[in-house]
Amino acid sequence: MAPSLGPARILLRIAFRNLFAGRAKTLIIGAILLLGTALVVAGSSLVESVDRGMRSSIQGSLAGHLQVYDDRSKDELALYGGMGREPQLEPVVDFSRVKEVLSRVPHVKRVVPMGIDQAMVATGNQIDVALEKVRADVRRIEAGERDDALLRHYQAHKDHVRRMVTLLRDELRAARALADDQLLQDRKQAGEDLARAAAPAFWDGFERDRLGSLEFLENRVAPQGMEGGMTIVRYVGTDLDAFLEAFDRAYVVEGQRVPKGRRGILLGKWYAEEYLKLKTARRLDKIKDARDFQRRTIAGDEEVARWVKENTTQVKEILYQLDPIQAEEAAARLRRALPSEERDLPKLLVQLLSTTDQDFDRKYAIFYDRLAPLLQLYSIRVGDTITIKAPARSGYFNAVNVKVYGFVHFRGLEKSRLAGVMSLLDLMSWRDLYGYLSPEQTEEIRHLKQVAGAQAVPRERAEAELFGGGGAAVESQRASRIDEAAVLARIARPAKAEDLSARVYSQREIDRGVVLNAALILDDPSRIAETARAVDRAQRAAGLHLKVVDWQKASGVVGQSVSLFRIVLYTAVLIIFAVALVIINNAMVMATLQRVREIGTLRAIGAQRRFVTGMLLVETMAVSLFFGALGAALGALAVWLIRAAGGIPAGNDQLYFFFSGPALLPTLGTTSVAISMGIVLLVSVLSGFYPAIIAMRVTPVEAMAADD
Amino acid sequence: MSAIVSVENVTKTYHLGKTEVPALRGVSLEIHAGEFLAVAGPSGSGKTTLLNLIGCVDTPTAGVVRVDGKDTSALSERALTDLRLRRIGFIFQSFNLVPVLSVFQNVEFPLLLQGGLTRGERQRRVGELLQAVGLSGHARHRPSELSGGQRQRVAVARALVGRPRLVLADEPTANLDSTTGATIIDLMRDMNQRDQTTFLFSTHDQKVMAHAHAVVRIADGQLQARETLQAAS
Ligand SMILES: Nc1ncnc2c1ncn2[C@@H]1O[C@H](COP(=O)(O)OP(=O)(O)OP(=O)(O)O)[C@@H](O)[C@H]1O
Ligand SMILES: [Mg+2]
Repeated sequence: MAPSLGPARILLRIAFRNLFAGRAKTLIIGAILLLGTALVVAGSSLVESVDRGMRSSIQGSLAGHLQVYDDRSKDELALYGGMGREPQLEPVVDFSRVKEVLSRVPHVKRVVPMGIDQAMVATGNQIDVALEKVRADVRRIEAGERDDALLRHYQAHKDHVRRMVTLLRDELRAARALADDQLLQDRKQAGEDLARAAAPAFWDGFERDRLGSLEFLENRVAPQGMEGGMTIVRYVGTDLDAFLEAFDRAYVVEGQRVPKGRRGILLGKWYAEEYLKLKTARRLDKIKDARDFQRRTIAGDEEVARWVKENTTQVKEILYQLDPIQAEEAAARLRRALPSEERDLPKLLVQLLSTTDQDFDRKYAIFYDRLAPLLQLYSIRVGDTITIKAPARSGYFNAVNVKVYGFVHFRGLEKSRLAGVMSLLDLMSWRDLYGYLSPEQTEEIRHLKQVAGAQAVPRERAEAELFGGGGAAVESQRASRIDEAAVLARIARPAKAEDLSARVYSQREIDRGVVLNAALILDDPSRIAETARAVDRAQRAAGLHLKVVDWQKASGVVGQSVSLFRIVLYTAVLIIFAVALVIINNAMVMATLQRVREIGTLRAIGAQRRFVTGMLLVETMAVSLFFGALGAALGALAVWLIRAAGGIPAGNDQLYFFFSGPALLPTLGTTSVAISMGIVLLVSVLSGFYPAIIAMRVTPVEAMAADD
Repeated sequence: MSAIVSVENVTKTYHLGKTEVPALRGVSLEIHAGEFLAVAGPSGSGKTTLLNLIGCVDTPTAGVVRVDGKDTSALSERALTDLRLRRIGFIFQSFNLVPVLSVFQNVEFPLLLQGGLTRGERQRRVGELLQAVGLSGHARHRPSELSGGQRQRVAVARALVGRPRLVLADEPTANLDSTTGATIIDLMRDMNQRDQTTFLFSTHDQKVMAHAHAVVRIADGQLQARETLQAAS
């Protein structure tokens, strides 16, 4: 025991004392190593946390663990959009086959059908809304009701419409002054209609033919309404129940789930906030968010100040929504809440909306508590039926009417555009928009055509049959397919008279049809790669022509950004440690050369070679380990401090997505600590290597040299 | 009584580029246990070369050097190191203490390399030697806190602590003034007398030489007569 212990002890003692003796050198080397390891630990903890955040964001909101799509597709699947447009994917003609085959692969828990696309949505038209109220009043009056409140509201609603019409007419006049002849010609009819609707004579005669007047307003005037804009909606057509079960991050915030098997849409909440919300309210939200979460102020931030300014100059949008009775109520409420003596509603609104950092929170509350209940905050409301128009595969536009059942949020990603812009549409409506017949349908059409022979259905009748009576919800314009559709209408006769929105589709109907891709949810997320291979084997054996990609690949550029972070981090780490290696190596070589006589002496009086090399290695290793551990501790402390301070706030919505929430709460990765210590050890061994060789070559003769 | 060291017809030639430098040219010498022998000669005569060969830090070009009965040319590097550790003590011209170790630890060092002693035994042995060289009060000092003479005493203690059969000292007094040098030689001789440890040291100083029992003179790489001195009595 003793023979080996003795030298080891003295070796350590000399090594450590030498470190202290050369304090400056030790500290310089130590500082570099300390910085390096601190960076590795903190940096890789951050990257791993982002990775984890993104992983859970992407997997839990849309991608699942694996995605499959047709391997003959022109583009690659990009769930969050490709470069400026949706990728072009070949349709997977029969999802039920995919589901059947892939569900049997071990560890595949769920297969969720998908089709992602963008389409236009007509947002609500304010005149329509106002006219709807008038029509409801008229209905009651025609039924003989005559109470005072009804009559008062009826008058107010009519006045509201009249004011809108007058505004519209004035706007058109103003536009005319600037427009060229061609435009004038195009809008001649519109101008005449508006002029008629704005004229006192029209309103004087309104009561004589209530329904006729309403019809004129609805058909000829309302379509010119200024609010009737279009926005783009991005949606994933899917089996809604399967989707909500598979993606636990998705939850319905307002309204309800689409009942099982029904057609319907859940609009992305974020999308609704951004594109459907009353602009004034939206700006107030943004100001609040900037102040509360981004430490910006109205006084100190140009953009926030601009939002305030825009709110005060654009009160018209609010005024436009209020009929005279509501307007009076709003003014009264504001006078009380502000408080103010002002009588004029526009001026009251300006008072409310010209906020400063001092009174913002109070006025924000007044807006939402007092004013908002009188307003329609979103241009599409839960319960509305909206029309979605999309270019179908044929090139023609398909349109479907779907009911909005609610808004959908993605947990932890509430502010993320990437996740929240997505709406969820039922698969049947999606297929109508996409314009593709199921193989079953195609087959039956082919069959029926043969049987029916020349007995073609007249086009008009076919259309009537296809779209049912008055309740047609699908307005297909697939002219090229109209014959097929007609035939289809015959075979699908039970559905003929049925209101599509009320129809309940069976799971089989939902599954048997076209999709673009499918998400696979695994029961064990750690087996992604292995399951991907198994899925690929299974689909190949079944001849499905599928391409299998993991969630990261499927999410396109977004998914790859973590890899980019990682490359940047590790490049930085590599450079730091390369520098450290060179510096440590140099310092140790110099130190060794300075100690040649000492080493020679040790050798002369009986120390073996391995003693001196061991001594030098211990010196570098001790410095490395000590400062490495200190650096790791420093990195861990940084991570801890970041957590204690509430994490790194997600300054914009992209970061929100990467961080999978409002802030990145990094956790210390044991792997990152292990990796950093591993790197430090490697660097110390490498940098101690050459000096150790020099030391080994020192002969005892060096000890004999005289002082000089 | 057999020789501790026997040098038989040894030559040592150094190569400096293309020129050959004959440092020793056929040297034979026997050193017996208990001797206190000085090698004297002018600068460049081959003293250091001879001591290095005997000290097993170098090997001869021709001829045989036997230390403790072993032919040094036949030993491996490790075996030579071990031989130095267990059989030879070194005293250097420039003292060559380990600067980061205390006086005590410097002296203890060979014992730790040798192993086999308990802590208590080591402490006793180091303590005795420090007492013998007159440095008991300086055990905790660092070499840098000592004078040259004191440092060389530490070196003497270190050379003797492992109980070697032979102590080699190459010009141990060259870096000391002559009075101090003389006391170091006297110390070495005391040690020689106390334990019968064999000493071989080199010098070119006549006064120092006078303290030895016997002197071998070397010039131009060749040994001359061995003289036994009066002072040796
Ligand atoms: N490593 C070496 N390489 C080449 N020549 C050497 C080497 N060591 C010694 N010599 C030469 O060998 C000869 C003997 O040298 P050595 O050091 O043994 O003499 P010395 O008697 O110890 O001299 P000094 O009194 O100056 O120490 C000298 O000519 C010297 O130049
Ligand atoms: Mg010499």
